[in-house]
Amino acid sequence: MNNELVNVSITLNGEKVSAEVEPRMLLIHFIRDIMNATGSHIGCDTSQCGNCTILVDGRSTKSCTVLAVHADETEVITVEGIGTTENLHPIQKAFWEEHGLQCGYCTPGAMMASIDFLSQNPDPTDDEIREGLDGIICRCTGYEFIVNAVRSAAKMMNDDSAVKGEV
Amino acid sequence: MEKMVGQRIKRKEDPKLITGNGMYLDDMKIPGLLHASIVRSPHPHANIVSIDKEKALKHPGVVAVYTGKDLEGKINPVPTSWKVPGMDLIETKQYPLAINTARYVGDGVAMVVADSKYTARDAAELIEVDYEVLPSIANQKEARKDGAPQIYDEVPGNVAFKYVAGEVTDEDLENAEVVMKGSYNTQRVAPSPMETRNSLAQYNPGSGDLKLYVGSQNPHIHRMVLSEVLNFPEHKLHVKVADMGGGFGGKIGVYPDEALVSYASMDLKRPVKWVETRNEHFQSANAGRDMMVDLELAGTKDGKITALRAVNHANIGAYLATFGPGNPTIDFGLMLSGAYKIEKAQCTTYGMYTNTMSVDSYRGAGKPEVTFMLERAVDDFARKINMDPIEVRRINFASKEEFPFTNAQGLIYDSGDYVKALDRAVEKSDYHALRQKQEELREEGRYIGIGISSYVELSGFGPSAVAGAIGFQGGIWENSTVRVHPGGTVTVYTGTSPHGQGHDTTFSQIVKDKLGIPYEDINFVFNDTRAVSMGWGTYGSRSLAVGGNAVGLATDKVVEKGRRIAAHLLEAEVEDIEFEEGVYSVRDDNSRRKTFQEIAKAANFAWSLPEGMEPGLEEQTFFDPSNFTYPFGTHIAVVEVDIETGEIEILRYIAVDDSGKIVNPTVAEGQILGGIAQGVGQALWEGVQYDEKGQLQSGSFMDYAMPKANFFPKIEMEFTETLSPVNQLGSKGVAESGTTGSIAAAANAVMDALAPLGVKHIELPLKPEKVWRAIQKGGAES
Amino acid sequence: MGVEIKHKYTFKNLSKQEVWDTIQDPEALQAALPNCEVFEEVGDEKYKTVMKVNMGAIKGEFTADVQQIDKSEPDSYRLLVKARGKPGEIEANAKMVLEEIAEGTELSCEADVSTTGLMATVGQRMVGGVAKVVLGQFFKDIEKQAKQAAGQ
Repeated sequence: MNNELVNVSITLNGEKVSAEVEPRMLLIHFIRDIMNATGSHIGCDTSQCGNCTILVDGRSTKSCTVLAVHADETEVITVEGIGTTENLHPIQKAFWEEHGLQCGYCTPGAMMASIDFLSQNPDPTDDEIREGLDGIICRCTGYEFIVNAVRSAAKMMNDDSAVKGEV
Repeated sequence: MEKMVGQRIKRKEDPKLITGNGMYLDDMKIPGLLHASIVRSPHPHANIVSIDKEKALKHPGVVAVYTGKDLEGKINPVPTSWKVPGMDLIETKQYPLAINTARYVGDGVAMVVADSKYTARDAAELIEVDYEVLPSIANQKEARKDGAPQIYDEVPGNVAFKYVAGEVTDEDLENAEVVMKGSYNTQRVAPSPMETRNSLAQYNPGSGDLKLYVGSQNPHIHRMVLSEVLNFPEHKLHVKVADMGGGFGGKIGVYPDEALVSYASMDLKRPVKWVETRNEHFQSANAGRDMMVDLELAGTKDGKITALRAVNHANIGAYLATFGPGNPTIDFGLMLSGAYKIEKAQCTTYGMYTNTMSVDSYRGAGKPEVTFMLERAVDDFARKINMDPIEVRRINFASKEEFPFTNAQGLIYDSGDYVKALDRAVEKSDYHALRQKQEELREEGRYIGIGISSYVELSGFGPSAVAGAIGFQGGIWENSTVRVHPGGTVTVYTGTSPHGQGHDTTFSQIVKDKLGIPYEDINFVFNDTRAVSMGWGTYGSRSLAVGGNAVGLATDKVVEKGRRIAAHLLEAEVEDIEFEEGVYSVRDDNSRRKTFQEIAKAANFAWSLPEGMEPGLEEQTFFDPSNFTYPFGTHIAVVEVDIETGEIEILRYIAVDDSGKIVNPTVAEGQILGGIAQGVGQALWEGVQYDEKGQLQSGSFMDYAMPKANFFPKIEMEFTETLSPVNQLGSKGVAESGTTGSIAAAANAVMDALAPLGVKHIELPLKPEKVWRAIQKGGAES
Repeated sequence: MGVEIKHKYTFKNLSKQEVWDTIQDPEALQAALPNCEVFEEVGDEKYKTVMKVNMGAIKGEFTADVQQIDKSEPDSYRLLVKARGKPGEIEANAKMVLEEIAEGTELSCEADVSTTGLMATVGQRMVGGVAKVVLGQFFKDIEKQAKQAAGQ
């Protein structure tokens, strides 16, 4: 085991942060335990469940199987960085409106994965959404209302960009 | 104004959960916090010869290492809380850390406490345990055979208990026109909440109070049992549950780990946290199901079932779990005849110790198992007498005129209309057209199957006198306090323990309708043994039927006290005071009125109250229902089996459920959907694997197939509404119905698809390889 | 039981006796076992070894007791291995049979392998694959050494 600490600097939800950590420290622990952004959760330790999904340089990433040092100098966005209760991101609004969550534990990861998915496929079919959620395990919902939420978020985001003329 | 009960209200719980503001146990940090890691036996059965903890103790950052011997005499064994009279239960001692012998893979043998979780895990690897491996066994039927490895000297034949409910004689079977035998086993599954188990204990050496945060569905039961395990007074033990990431039965149990963390905190006088890894969850969190059932069914050629006789070998693991002995005997055994009017039924249960993790309640707890058995058997019976399975069900159902209906084992079902739910499912699925299509596709060499499952659930635990009669070590009433603040806002306390079910929302809907105050003015407190006087928690689909009704009844009391205050202030007779939409007014003169908020202030200020009335506006109810509730329904699954590969595709899934009065349809649908995913998951994919000696082979989500989004089509669901007469709302349980109905629906569909190929039975889960092998054989299972 | 492993290896142009001599030579064995740091005889046909394995989830140092029984030179023997490491324990009972064929000598190994710990609960699926790789390397090395000894 290498006990020498290394510096990890990331931009976390728009803010530059850094800390000296063990090189073996996982990114999810860096975010949760060192940076106190506890919205992202650990569900399986082996990157099946995706409850720890965050965006690293815009791409959804399972942060339980990435070392913090690997994320050095990247831009990281977690659930804390996408919206607030006063100003919810469309995906948050949609999960709420469509009852896309029950215990809420997998939800941050599921939403972050969905954001990346919708950025690549802004107008998905239900089947595509179900495929797109392949990296997420949710034990409560049976997924159907998550699928509805992602579809609804897509519509909101498309309407939004149509209004802004960004299509 | 429109009533809120019955409306699709967005959940109150969600804003914090969708913004990352939830506070789950592992999110909590406390100054001086230590982290624990538990060393577990890698052997299914082994004597502990010696444990060398020196290297671990020398590791920098390690604060303490405990072994079973260190704790001997300091912590008591963790007991079971369900001892059914007449079962001749042999309860063995489950010490929080094994002292001399480890009895399953995952049995704790040592615990390390260190200043970080990385350090704790590093040091756990430095502990050297010398084991003497003993003969071991995983299968419960094998464990009962002569010469099987013995898990305890004091338990001959490994039989923890034997329980017989009902009586069916050999003549009952011999004299029948049709007799059928079959084995209907439900395999072991892992509850797998996304948040694993955890606990955080904080002992205050000054006050002598122990605060324990724990992943629990029933904090008051945890307090009661841990108080005994730790020799620690109940009033000094404060159990709390943080936001919790699911339970599904896996967090009912009181576990050794929680006792260990508590002990360490008291011993070290520092807070100690333990969070289970997923691999640990598979080893040492209570599993579900694992019942091997042999059934004899007697009936007539025209479709009437006359008797059922079952022998259930229930694997209960190496130690008795908290509710372990009750699931196979009561929940399974007494529900043997399901929704049917069957004259005679008998269930003999053998609770078998094996070298595996304990088995406890898992979503449905006994009812999914018995429904699977019965509904698979009804289909087999229908096939045998060449009758449509829908017809066989219709012939045997208890009819709606017969309620309250007493089943073959003496349970009294509160209300039901089984034909109605079946008819709706048949109609919604277009069943007869499906049968037609099935015929046509078979011509083309395609095999679709239609699986029906009509279930009835024992839910809404329940009347406490019955709890006593069946040996449940506790009451099962529910408690609620409604506290009205001077400004007229309300805090409601409930003894149920939500962790995703949405009680905050649905219970608020109940209170809102009764008080007429803004929905936002209602706040709920739960999951806290200091705030809530007593409560029995959330399991057995009891929260709304018992807890929600307690909330409603306590609110009624508040309304009544308010009425008396209003009468006093308005100088009118109490009988003449009406209360509507949050306003008390005098009948025939509603210019004389007081708002609820005015009454709240008057009650709290107590400047002028009716003579003899105590100040304040706060009421408490202890609601002990007169009976359980019995939700029911019919599910129909349509699958296609690819006979080249054995792969199964779910084409359609229709669910018609009756949970009595629905408070929030969206929330209720969410419960049904989640339940179906778990039931279908059991039928098709999930399964805990041990080898025959008890070595665990499925220790991660790489080895254990969890259902995923693309495994399912859109579920077609609806509710029928048959009110329960046993509570004010008329509600029944809803959370377990989806699971209870769906295992058999999915399995029956697959069997129906394969029937023309001569396949009669395949053990769950119906994985492609097994299905393919069965097709190749064209007969009994490979 | 745990996993059943069957492996066959053909030692080209070597006789049964030549293969036997090499596979029974402790020095040759140590050289052939991947990352084997210790290999010492502790009793009659009993050896103690320490070797490092690093293959996916199965990673760490293993201490093993190796014993040979039922020896019938140069045709067959039985190998009992009990290895212990952080990822868990391995117990193997292998029947080794040598047979002369046209190309040389075929050694077939039929083993029953049971595991504990992380290797069992998470790595079970990989045990067969890892064993195949390790055995393959091992026999290849033995072949090389046997050929050297035979002056080929």
